[in-house]
Amino acid sequence: MEDLKQKLKVQIIEALNLQDTKPEDIDDNAPLFGEGLGLDSIDSLELMVLLERHYHIKVEDPREGRKILQSVQSMAEFIQSKQPA
Amino acid sequence: MSAISPQHSFGENVFSQPLMTVSENVFACVEPDYRAYMPPNSIRRMTRILKVGLTAALQCMQDAGITVPGAIVTGTGKGSLSDTERFLKEIREYKETALNATPFIQSTYNAVNGLIALQQKCTQYNNTFVHRGFSFENALLDAMLLIAEGNKDILVGAFEEITAEHFYIKSRIGFWKKEKIASNELYQHPTPGTISGEGAAFFLLSDTPGEVQLSGLKMVYKPKESYLQKFLASHELNLEDIDLVISGRNGDSNFDHYYDGLPNELPFKHLCGEYDTSGAFALWLGAQILKAQQVPANWFPMLTVPAGPYKNILIYNHFFGEQHVYMLLTLNTGYLK
Repeated sequence: MEDLKQKLKVQIIEALNLQDTKPEDIDDNAPLFGEGLGLDSIDSLELMVLLERHYHIKVEDPREGRKILQSVQSMAEFIQSKQPA
Repeated sequence: MSAISPQHSFGENVFSQPLMTVSENVFACVEPDYRAYMPPNSIRRMTRILKVGLTAALQCMQDAGITVPGAIVTGTGKGSLSDTERFLKEIREYKETALNATPFIQSTYNAVNGLIALQQKCTQYNNTFVHRGFSFENALLDAMLLIAEGNKDILVGAFEEITAEHFYIKSRIGFWKKEKIASNELYQHPTPGTISGEGAAFFLLSDTPGEVQLSGLKMVYKPKESYLQKFLASHELNLEDIDLVISGRNGDSNFDHYYDGLPNELPFKHLCGEYDTSGAFALWLGAQILKAQQVPANWFPMLTVPAGPYKNILIYNHFFGEQHVYMLLTLNTGYLK
């Protein structure tokens, strides 16, 4: 799980071009939107694409997406839940 | 007015800046520090031409003392090419699935207008014209009509970028010279093709008199004969009344004959290269010369610069022999801030 979260942070920084942010600046449980990283609705679309490209997970329900993209922790938990045991 | 171009045209002391040259037949803009103009969270998403266009527009408004313009009107031949290319490549790479939203949004021609409107909270008329070599001029015409209808403080401009991919595509259809030349020797190489360029220029059109007046604009598509005399006659002028002709001569032996015989000619394409909306750079240059009553000294070392004073400046430019444009700038009673 820790490895996955670290990898996710790197991927988020790269996908959203967060130029002055390092992986260690992102708290696992900090909100990605509004406060925290201050991401917006276009970023949420980019994060959906990230999940699809890197983890082959397609989020069909936007309401589900809101919960999944709450934090790095919630994204990692979702990815893990979708991976084969 | 404001211009970001391959020259040091952005900011102050334009008239003392050195001439920037290239030897690979392709110019790129001298980019300013964008952080003074937009929040970091916005910069991270924007590609180069969006930053160039937005910054030029913001500086133009700042210089004119306007925060929210009465309208935003722009012209662009290709819009953000790098976003378009990225989007198209990803369609192929990911087989039309999992496509990023950002390059798609920013590849639309009106992306720069949208960014200006968002940043300045401007909900007024907002339009982008995309008509190859007439793109900027149609925006300018629209802006002049808006002024004539009683609107005030119209932001009008143009933006264009060149990418390696697009340069290659256009080289396949003979747009650029096959031989590599130094840009400051452009007019000494009358061979097929020219050199490529890019840039953004913005103007604030006002209904109150300023130093520079945009007195005339005419677009002519593939003219069978020169329209110059008719254009001047429509403004009750003769060629003798024109103190300076800023011409779009670009060293292309296929099309430079249109400029032959022009008096007091000052070509500008060695400064910015050729692109759909280079007329906006010419307008910026003409307005600068008219205001300062001098030509940027370092930018024309290869030419004999027609002496001032400058009261009437004619801009004549065409885009590969198809879209021909005449613009007339007059000192003193004007529109351009």
